[in-house]
Amino acid sequence: MTDLSRRDFLKLLRSGFLYISGALALGGLLRFLDYEPNPAPQTEFDLGPASNFPLGSRTLLSDPPAVLLHTQSGFSALSLVCTHLGCTLEDQENGFTCPCHGSRFDAKGNVTHRPAEKPLQSLRVEVTDEGNLRLFTA
Amino acid sequence: MRPSFFHHLHPPTIPAAQARWRHTLGAGGTTVFLMLVLGVTGILEMFYYVPNPEEAALSVQVITYHVPYGGFIRNLHYWSAQLLLIVSAVHLLRVIFTAAYGHPRRFNYLLGLGLFVLAIMLDFTGYILRWDQGICWPLTTGTNLIKTIPFIGDFLFRLAVGGGDACKTALTRFYTWHLFGLTIPVVVLGIWHAFRVRRDGGIAVPPPHARTDNVRISRNELVRREVLTMFIASILLVLLSSFFPAPIAPAMIGKPSPDAETRAPWFFLWVQQMLKWGDPFIFGVLIPFGILVILAFIPYIFPKPADSDIGTWFPKSNRLAQVAATVIAVFIIILTLLNR
Ligand code: FES
Repeated sequence: MTDLSRRDFLKLLRSGFLYISGALALGGLLRFLDYEPNPAPQTEFDLGPASNFPLGSRTLLSDPPAVLLHTQSGFSALSLVCTHLGCTLEDQENGFTCPCHGSRFDAKGNVTHRPAEKPLQSLRVEVTDEGNLRLFTA
Repeated sequence: MRPSFFHHLHPPTIPAAQARWRHTLGAGGTTVFLMLVLGVTGILEMFYYVPNPEEAALSVQVITYHVPYGGFIRNLHYWSAQLLLIVSAVHLLRVIFTAAYGHPRRFNYLLGLGLFVLAIMLDFTGYILRWDQGICWPLTTGTNLIKTIPFIGDFLFRLAVGGGDACKTALTRFYTWHLFGLTIPVVVLGIWHAFRVRRDGGIAVPPPHARTDNVRISRNELVRREVLTMFIASILLVLLSSFFPAPIAPAMIGKPSPDAETRAPWFFLWVQQMLKWGDPFIFGVLIPFGILVILAFIPYIFPKPADSDIGTWFPKSNRLAQVAATVIAVFIIILTLLNR
């Protein structure tokens, strides 16, 4: 091994060491920042006694944004979170519109005007043993 | 005399052409001044701002309505930030229209573009820090947009927001990004950018052999012009801040009320307009990013401006770059105006 190549080798070692430690530190930093400190958004909501929502009623909820229907076939709910980028829809005659980019949905939640592409999510509603309504957003 | 950064930026004499208003528009220098104002007023706001989702909006109200001169300080911060974006854009266009990005200034052009992007992100995070009813929808749509990026979207979203429902949780991260995560890179890149201006031979003018006027001005004259520019900018800032208060909305309790603002901040109105057209990833991420890539490539793949054209307005040899920049600017302005 000549002197020169030994020096080259050390140089390689040094820069390799620097790059590797840099990459490790960056990876560590990204993993550090990747943690979710916030609790996952609530997915279960207690709406109070089911008798508050008589047969035939149609109730707009604000948190979570949804519309709750009580029909012959029972309770059902439609999420009012726009499927485009998540704004809350405005309730309008025979449908919903989004104030953010103008998507429109009919009363059943189907898209009638883009940019949204997916229909509104229907939410599960259950009546608990105590007669309370529970709404599930996931 | 001990060499200093000030003397690096202000050599004993420089070609007069490098410091003419009609050549530089004073734009680059004005951004430095605006950033100083932003730094000082930002620190003052920190004495009262409470970065906590429950109290943030109220602390902004305290600054605005109760603290002596608080509203004025906040207006100064707001207007410097808005002017910074405008002046930076003017500076960028000036550099393109005078072919100033040519070798050896290509790298510094990229530094400048990076600074521009950071300034936009700083303006957006700062606007979110109001944490009132007006920011929820732009924040929600903006951060949901990040999620649409394939593969890394969710990761980037967590990086920016920390997960959860942005409108309830993003404040901690946005505060830290605004005060440190973005500001420190701006300071570092900004100093580097200014250093490279001199390193690359000062503000771009035709090389000595192609120069028609050989007048030079002294350091004192240069400083005098800089101070004059600052003075004019200060008057404008004071006037704007006295008569046009920075936007503010009622504090957010739970979800924002139905009449909350749904329009994006003015510098993103053009993106919001495109989002109405369809797929959020294409219109909200790819196209804006594509525009940035085109701008970044101007010094590298567009026809090289002739040596003698560097630093002259609208030279023939960089027509393509001028056209590209004009098309982009007009596109953005039209979209902004369409969004109402
Ligand atoms: S968020 Fe509803 S249309 Fe974009």
